[in-house]
Amino acid sequence: MTRHLPAILFLLPLGLAICLPLIGIKHREWCRPLSIGVLAAMVPVSFANLVGVLQNGTIHYDFGGWAAPVGIEWVADGLASVMTVALSLVGLVCITFLSSVLFPYLGSRIVPFYTLVLLLIASLTGMVFAGDLFNLFVFLEVSALCAYALVGLAGGKALVAGFRYLILGTFGASLYLLGVGYLYAETGTLNMADLAQRVPSLVASKAFAVGVLFMFIGLGIKMALVPLHGWLPDAYTYAPDRVSPMLASLVTKVALYGWIRIMFWVLGAQAVVYQIRLLVLVGILGALAALVGAFLALSQVEIKRMFAYGGLSHIGLILVGISLGNQTGFVGGVFYLLNDAVMQAGLFFWAGAIIHLYGVRTIEDLGRLQGGAGWMSVALVVIALSMIGIPPTGGFFGKWYIILGAVEAQNYLAIVAVLIATLLTLAYFVKLFERVFRDRSTQPPPLIREIPLAVKIGLGATSVAVIVLGLMSDHIVSFLLKNAVPPGL
Amino acid sequence: MKQMHDSIIVQAMSRLLIPLAQLFALYVLFFGQYGPGGGFVAGVIWTTSMILTFLVFGLKSPQGRLVEKVLHGDGIGLIIFVGVGGLCLIGGGEFLNYANLEIPGLDAPARRYTGILLAQIGVAVDVAVTGISIVLSLAYHDTEQEYDV
Repeated sequence: MTRHLPAILFLLPLGLAICLPLIGIKHREWCRPLSIGVLAAMVPVSFANLVGVLQNGTIHYDFGGWAAPVGIEWVADGLASVMTVALSLVGLVCITFLSSVLFPYLGSRIVPFYTLVLLLIASLTGMVFAGDLFNLFVFLEVSALCAYALVGLAGGKALVAGFRYLILGTFGASLYLLGVGYLYAETGTLNMADLAQRVPSLVASKAFAVGVLFMFIGLGIKMALVPLHGWLPDAYTYAPDRVSPMLASLVTKVALYGWIRIMFWVLGAQAVVYQIRLLVLVGILGALAALVGAFLALSQVEIKRMFAYGGLSHIGLILVGISLGNQTGFVGGVFYLLNDAVMQAGLFFWAGAIIHLYGVRTIEDLGRLQGGAGWMSVALVVIALSMIGIPPTGGFFGKWYIILGAVEAQNYLAIVAVLIATLLTLAYFVKLFERVFRDRSTQPPPLIREIPLAVKIGLGATSVAVIVLGLMSDHIVSFLLKNAVPPGL
Repeated sequence: MKQMHDSIIVQAMSRLLIPLAQLFALYVLFFGQYGPGGGFVAGVIWTTSMILTFLVFGLKSPQGRLVEKVLHGDGIGLIIFVGVGGLCLIGGGEFLNYANLEIPGLDAPARRYTGILLAQIGVAVDVAVTGISIVLSLAYHDTEQEYDV
């Protein structure tokens, strides 16, 4: 039974997603409870899968019973299982947040909406487990198509942002596919494990180098690595407030996971492209992204856009961590990735709630709260502490391990980049806090509405999670060190 | 084309061609296991026949209304596909491992045959419905409205 768990984990959201259009003809109101139920079912299944993987080793799931190099394979190893646990937990909280109490009623569009959300979750699960490069592409595209539609759902400006996302995202996916094509032409295989065995003989090949670069640029667009991030701020700012948390916390992170999988499990940690070590290249780009993202966040006036740029800087930090070339840095990067999924979700919950409860969109308007957002501000502070990196939150320990790894690798550039990014993060949150807590504008205080349960759950769960991640960081990091470190690192 | 095409020649030819195209789609679907073809191609051919239907007879005609009704079948194809795969899973094998499709009275090759055929039917239905919904939403649906989300 254990060996089927990866497939079951994928089939749960997929199965409901394809049944919803039929259920929705008669019972529109069932969409939400059913979706929450399926995500809640995914949590124990993903934990069972993790336990099964720990006990029996990596699960290789051959679809249709065809063995690996010929057939389609899913690989559930330690890292993938940890990722799916995080995915299902964050997904559950995000889907709870899609409440109609806070947001306008969707009417008949609630059925396609929940279908898209569930398909997004299913395809992200597929991306995490995918054992060959082409499968990764397929799920990348499915998740991206769902994300385009969810961004454009609001119409108007969101439609333009969604269209831009579609053009750039498709461009990225095409580049990735082109890169996969080059590798396939060189090796005749798409299976990751099979490919990894043939890569060492290809170091001198130009087609291999071009293929790797195409794949990197393609996934770079998908994960919004800084020079390629053009689609992200608009898409996350204008996306419906109820879906931004899900997009921000999951979609770019899983694309980044895809690159981690390719870089370490296929190309190998020592991969060289045109005499440049791939890890060095990724590290420099990551440091750049960390600095530029945080710097751009500092100059934003819209809250959601500021958080979106903050997310860009964190993608950079994760890349800095994984590219240090030692286990400490890699584990720090992965740990930071898990943290970042939680923090981004929390921040966008807060931004969405502020917009819909108090009508506050920009930092200027925050003064209108007059400190009146109650404990929602407390949740913001907790998550912001983690974003900045102050103990005992998860963000601190993520950065701590990244810096430890950098010291170990004697990569002082990385240390400086992480520290400056931290200072810039502190700066833009101070700017935010200044408005929330100190600014007393002359406008009348906001109408105090009761905070909906969905917001309480969302903000409560994420702010507790960052503290738990921080307190448990020692266990999680040693667990990752034991189970999720790529070979040859 | 929101109303019926006015040329009698086009109408008569379509009356002849549409069933032929659909018959050919079925042939491709069932022949797909032995030669070129299969679910995807069959679905596309079926879609073209339906597109021809509402291009020639218009969406308001009985035939056109039938095409619009098909749209509710969104997902039925996938349900068939995932259902077959799920039955294999229940039978103790991997997802889509047709050898484990527990149908009494069938030996392993016959099980594989049935499994592939059923899965291909699912694919064909899904491709056909998706094709129709793309054409309908590009050609007829009003996209100018703005929603409050």
